[in-house]
Amino acid sequence: MRGRTLIGTLGVLLGLYGAWLLVSRQDRAQLVGAAKWLVAGVVLHDFVLAPLTLVVVAGLARLLPVSHRAPAAVGLVVLGSVTLLAIPVLGSFGAQTHNPSLLDRHYVIGWLVLAALTVACVVVAGERRRRTP
Amino acid sequence: MSGLRGLNVVRAPSPPSDASFTTRLRSAAVAARVGLVLGICFGIAFVTGLISHYAQNVDQPVPFPTSPSWGYRVTQGLHVVTGTACVPLLLVKLWTVYPKLFQRPPGDVRRLTLEVLERASIGVLVASAIFQLASGLANVTEWYPWDFSFRPTHYALAWVAIGSLLVHVAVKLPIIRGALGSDVDATTYDRPSATRPAALSRRGLLRATWVATGVAVLAVAGNTVPFLRRASVLAPHSGGGPQDLPVTKSAFAAGVTSSATSAAYRLEVVHGDRSVSLSREQLLGMDQQTEKLPIACVEGWSASGTWTGVRLRTLLDLVDAPAGSDVVVTSLQERGAFRHSTLPGNFAADHRTTLALALNGEPLAIDHGYPARIIAPNRPGVLQTKWVTRLEVLT
Repeated sequence: MRGRTLIGTLGVLLGLYGAWLLVSRQDRAQLVGAAKWLVAGVVLHDFVLAPLTLVVVAGLARLLPVSHRAPAAVGLVVLGSVTLLAIPVLGSFGAQTHNPSLLDRHYVIGWLVLAALTVACVVVAGERRRRTP
Repeated sequence: MSGLRGLNVVRAPSPPSDASFTTRLRSAAVAARVGLVLGICFGIAFVTGLISHYAQNVDQPVPFPTSPSWGYRVTQGLHVVTGTACVPLLLVKLWTVYPKLFQRPPGDVRRLTLEVLERASIGVLVASAIFQLASGLANVTEWYPWDFSFRPTHYALAWVAIGSLLVHVAVKLPIIRGALGSDVDATTYDRPSATRPAALSRRGLLRATWVATGVAVLAVAGNTVPFLRRASVLAPHSGGGPQDLPVTKSAFAAGVTSSATSAAYRLEVVHGDRSVSLSREQLLGMDQQTEKLPIACVEGWSASGTWTGVRLRTLLDLVDAPAGSDVVVTSLQERGAFRHSTLPGNFAADHRTTLALALNGEPLAIDHGYPARIIAPNRPGVLQTKWVTRLEVLT
């Protein structure tokens, strides 16, 4: 119990130090901007992404034969999370006309290859499971 | 995964509660295992982030070391790669504990107070964790769709994230210990309603999470690991660029296109009332040294280059600068935070620190800092000042 109290107290202190760093080094408009992002992240996850995942999983469960459900779930975890983290490169929002070395790949093609490989793995694994019940 | 039944209950007239989520995958057994790896990745990102922040500080009570020359390349590469690895880990972690969001509050006041406090700490943890990953992923592509300043905010919230993570670990420690100490299929810590078998087993979900994390790492690590370049289809830099080296800030973006190519360009070396003015031709006429040193950008990309130019120490000797003095480097850039950088005494004295005039056997490309740039070992790329026009020795 003492160990837990110690870890918890240390956590509270570090968190408060961070909060002080946050509010003491920027102006009001910047803090409002940071607060918007903090709230938006939670709201987007809890009330958009998580329910969307429920709907997608329910849809896949209805459409797919039993043999393909487990491989499809693995495919969803892989492709879903990698797609989410690829949003900045897929949109290339940071691209600069005079810096051709930044965002210099064909990201959509790269993503399509990744998606095709994932779907192929899901189909192959599903077919193998169907043949060997 | 959660399947149809969970959704049907959501549609029922009563609002969803944690009992609406019935799959046995959403369990402490899975959450503890994913959480352990996630916590380690957050820890690595936190420590490497502190190193990067310290390396960029002007005031350093303990001087940042100049060796190994690839040190910052490794720590900053790790920072971005572990941060990226956290995305699948955090998503699965949040998925397994999602029912907690709908848990009914307890009746008695003491337990309610504790629950409110715990939920507040979880709220802070989730908000700061998502913030760190989202802002970091946007920043590595130089996309800034926000009003705040990235570096101080990302730094402050790193402390908030690691602090609230410690609070979370302290609160959950008995469950974490118990869950990690028993079989992944043990039901000790399961919610009573979480009994429905899913398409995947718990082991299957864990394997899927590790695979997703591995794919995420492979997809971006080519930014900094040369042999992964071809495989990293989602890396913001392919590793190419002028003279085979990527660029973060172009000469156009810095507004130096005409001043950098002007015949009037001179390098001023100043120490007190002594000063020397040198043209690029005069610099080329001095003893040249060639060093293989990496550029390691704070945005997480890095690449090695072969730089040729004048040893910085040789230039400082022209104005009799005492060994170990700090040197302020000024760029032709007219504005921006990185118009000046300060080379601490140990970096200025290091024999590898070069005022580079050529890269990979060719005259420096303008986007790499023509007519002259600083290249020092083990430094954040943002401090490897380009288009250098003045070196001032601090006394």
